[in-house]
Amino acid sequence: MLQVALAQVRMHARRFVAVGLAVVMAVGFLTATLMVNASTEASLANSIGAGFRNADLVVTAGEDGELDGAMAAAVAKADGVAEVYAQRHSRVAFGSGTQAGFGLMQDLAPRSLDSLTVVSGRLPAGNGEVAVDDTTAAKYGLAAGTSLKLAAGSGTVAARDLKDAAGATVTGVVKASKDPLLMGQPQLHALPVLAARLAGDSGYYPSIQARVADGTSVTEAKAAVESALDGAGSVVVRTADEQTKAVVAMFTGGQDQLTIILLAFALIALLVCALVVSNTFSVLVAQRTRELALLRCIGAGRNQIRRSVIVEALLVGTAASILGVLGAIGLMAGIIAVLQRQPDTEFAVLAVPGHAVAAGLLAGVVMTVLAALSPARAATAVAPLAALRPVDDARLGNRRGKVRLAAGLVLTVAGGAILALGATTANLLIALPGGALSFVGLLMCASLFVPPLVRGVGQLARPLGVPGRLAAVNAVRNPGRTSATAAALLIGVTLVTMMMTGAQTARQVFDTQLGAEYPVDITVTDRALDGRPLDQAAARTAARHEGVTAAGLVTVAGSTEIDGSQTPVYRLGPGQAQLLQDKSLVLDAGTVLVPQGSGVKTLAVAGAEGSKTLTAVETGSRFFPPLVSAAVAEELGGPAPEQADAGAGPQLWLAVDRELGAAELMQLRTDLAAELNVNDYQLSGAAIERAAFNQIIDVMLLVVTGLLAVAVLIALVGVANTLSLSVLERTRESSLLRALGLTTGQLRGMLALEAVLVAGVAALIGTVLGVLYGWLGARSALGVFGDVAPSLPWLQLAAVLAVAVVAGLLASVLPARRAARLSPVEGLATT
Amino acid sequence: MTTTSEQSPAAARPATAAAATLSLNKTYGSGDTRVHALRDVDVSFEQGRFTAIMGPSGSGKSTLMHCLAGLDTADSGQVWIGGTDITGLKDKQLTRLRRERVGFVFQAFNLVPTLTAEQNILLPVALAGGTADRDWFRQVTSALGLADRLRHRPHELSGGQQQRVAVARALLTRPDVVFGDEPTGNLDSKAGAEVLSLLRRSAVEMGQSIIMVTHDPVAASYADRVVLMNDGELVGELDHPDADSVLGALAKLGA
Repeated sequence: MLQVALAQVRMHARRFVAVGLAVVMAVGFLTATLMVNASTEASLANSIGAGFRNADLVVTAGEDGELDGAMAAAVAKADGVAEVYAQRHSRVAFGSGTQAGFGLMQDLAPRSLDSLTVVSGRLPAGNGEVAVDDTTAAKYGLAAGTSLKLAAGSGTVAARDLKDAAGATVTGVVKASKDPLLMGQPQLHALPVLAARLAGDSGYYPSIQARVADGTSVTEAKAAVESALDGAGSVVVRTADEQTKAVVAMFTGGQDQLTIILLAFALIALLVCALVVSNTFSVLVAQRTRELALLRCIGAGRNQIRRSVIVEALLVGTAASILGVLGAIGLMAGIIAVLQRQPDTEFAVLAVPGHAVAAGLLAGVVMTVLAALSPARAATAVAPLAALRPVDDARLGNRRGKVRLAAGLVLTVAGGAILALGATTANLLIALPGGALSFVGLLMCASLFVPPLVRGVGQLARPLGVPGRLAAVNAVRNPGRTSATAAALLIGVTLVTMMMTGAQTARQVFDTQLGAEYPVDITVTDRALDGRPLDQAAARTAARHEGVTAAGLVTVAGSTEIDGSQTPVYRLGPGQAQLLQDKSLVLDAGTVLVPQGSGVKTLAVAGAEGSKTLTAVETGSRFFPPLVSAAVAEELGGPAPEQADAGAGPQLWLAVDRELGAAELMQLRTDLAAELNVNDYQLSGAAIERAAFNQIIDVMLLVVTGLLAVAVLIALVGVANTLSLSVLERTRESSLLRALGLTTGQLRGMLALEAVLVAGVAALIGTVLGVLYGWLGARSALGVFGDVAPSLPWLQLAAVLAVAVVAGLLASVLPARRAARLSPVEGLATT
Repeated sequence: MTTTSEQSPAAARPATAAAATLSLNKTYGSGDTRVHALRDVDVSFEQGRFTAIMGPSGSGKSTLMHCLAGLDTADSGQVWIGGTDITGLKDKQLTRLRRERVGFVFQAFNLVPTLTAEQNILLPVALAGGTADRDWFRQVTSALGLADRLRHRPHELSGGQQQRVAVARALLTRPDVVFGDEPTGNLDSKAGAEVLSLLRRSAVEMGQSIIMVTHDPVAASYADRVVLMNDGELVGELDHPDADSVLGALAKLGA
């Protein structure tokens, strides 16, 4: 029978192309996911290990210990240690010309342990010399020969603060370290003496590196170092390799979660692929009924028939899995090659771990064989007599699967109830399994609702004449097949639209939430960079800016005590009430608006000319500054002089155009900050938070949709595959129709319509389910924040449907071309 | 009464014939496997008559019918249907010609399994985007005894009923010619006789031109005229044949 299976695969290779393609994609996705993890680790090791590349042993602090200079001295005295590098880091301020910044000063290592790469100039040799990293050199315009001012410290620094500081000369530029712990900050290197002079005792030793003397084994030296440090405190001695691994492990704690999430998407792709494979083999078995019956007639046993189908699956699964793994390796190699060319990620390394290859191969083969089990069982049900009967072309309906339907219904109802419970009690941990169960249940009884819906929607095609009517009938000719094809697509579409609806609903909830949380769209606080307080001129500048609908300067009217701390009270000028997010707030001569949760009935507000007790009106925002009307502010006579000195300056309140998108708002913030001469972070408020939040949601949605796209693509291959197999099966019928006067164009249109019907209805059901799941999911996750009203991303949902319809059209192109190429006579001759 | 001759003596002129060919040639394959399916076939089929094309397997009778019906194209020569030269027509024009001016009854798999008998009968009209003549539809279906079977799907009909549905479909458009390709090959003798009588009656009573390919002498005996083929050539014909005379003529071919 192996011979028969081999002959099948060889003879009908084309019938296996699509199913192979589906397996290739799923296996490739899985393998690539596992390789992402391994490659990230390898890349990290590459970047971290660079710092230890000349060391044999690395001493680091234990749980709650710290390294010090005495330990370095102890290590240096240990037997077998040739040289020691006490890697001291200290924070320094540096200035050059008008610019100033903070950086990390590192002691230079002795030559033999030095891991720096000099880009230009040379390493410092004297105590008045420093080297800087290339990124910093470019940013601050430093080069060999530039004079630097250096001082210890951190906090804020301006060039003029450093004018009396010690000077040093830059002697060289070195390559910036890609160690994630050091990346992104200016790195300065100097001889230990200069570093010690600057940092005093504030230095910190991340590690002590040691080189082992020739003729001493690393193990012996390690033991010697350990005993030398015995009792000195909590320290860990590792070889350089062990140290690299330990640091990588520390960094990849979060990476594992990413891998788990990616794996979940890979599993979804595999599941969809299994559906496609199972469906394909069912069709292939149905088409070979006569052939299988003939084999049974001439003495093949049921087990032999079953085995021959499984062997076919094994062959296809193995070949496709190998291709999938190779494809994944190729893809990752390409990505790494691109990354290596980027300056920030040039340390990227491709890792092809054995477990990724093995898991990809195993998952692909096992999945294909498992998916073929049920069709293989169906093949054994073929009676030998079927070979002698005339071909029964009108295969309508299928009776199997009553048990599956019942189980599916139970799962749907039970899962739905659990999901509803989770949604009403706002508990995602309850809702999640409920949703998953009900979705599996729905997929199991897809044959209950998919065919009637396809039939119903198919009525729309009636006006298109015979091709339309035939397409509608053919689309549900084999309900089981149609359901399985649609179910595969349904999974991806449901998950995509669920994410879209969930994201949109979350956006809506947070918008409402943020509206109440902040008094105004954007608040500009504190002084300008030149030290001057914000003034009316700034308000006019801001108001003129595009996207800003109104701007007002809110000045300090006095002060009050809330929760035991002195808080400035602001004056809301005439006409400034329109700036407030909450338009229902009313401010009169007897009231003061206070932040949410203040819990006071009245509030005493003190000004330069006396104090006044006002009725407190609590607002819905915790960030609301106490606010009084202009009339009250006049009575108070402005802030007391000592308060004015304390620094609480006027604020600028802005209202912005509601139509602005996240990116536009972020741009607005940057532009405004530049125009008002303030730091970006001085601008805050509901609009800014909303923009930041929306940006995060948009990126997440994009990533998730991209990941699910693999599953959708596999399902579309399934649609094309089912259609092309159906076309093969209906060769005679197509020929008859051609003989009776169906033009090739009509034939193509008929098949396109059939694919569009199945894909479109699957997308439609998926969208409805996705919206429902998305809303219930959002309720479960965000219900604690208040009422969650469903919010539908209409445009995105319409795009999903449009993509499904276009994809259905594309899926029909190849099968339709083959069907149209056949001349009527050829088709009729096939018996 | 029964004549056998080397050439068709009463060949009607192409312009007035239901269908006709002029030096039609067709070959399959190349080199050693080259087969002459048709060699210089000149034949004409009169309007309103029931003609059978007979010959042993591989004689080219099916190929001739396919070429006549516009299902297949010849290598050289000309074909007319109802006075129209269909040689060199494009696929689209041939398709339209088939649905408007030609009817078919095949040996098996005549009906689209997903459509009811009525929908099958109306299929060519529907494909052409036209509406059927309801009176004619009733007349045809009741003459064929299908009036109470119209809502059934093909698998709910017997073989004979299925072939009668196919005949009804072929007659409905009042085509220039109805082609039958072994229309009774899959039927028992009683159902076969019924279908053949129906075809004969449509020729006699409705004046429908019918061309039928068969290798069954009994089936051929229902025709007005039998055209004999062998090795891709016309080798003779019989007028008003009966089963014995057809058998005799065939035996001569074998000799």
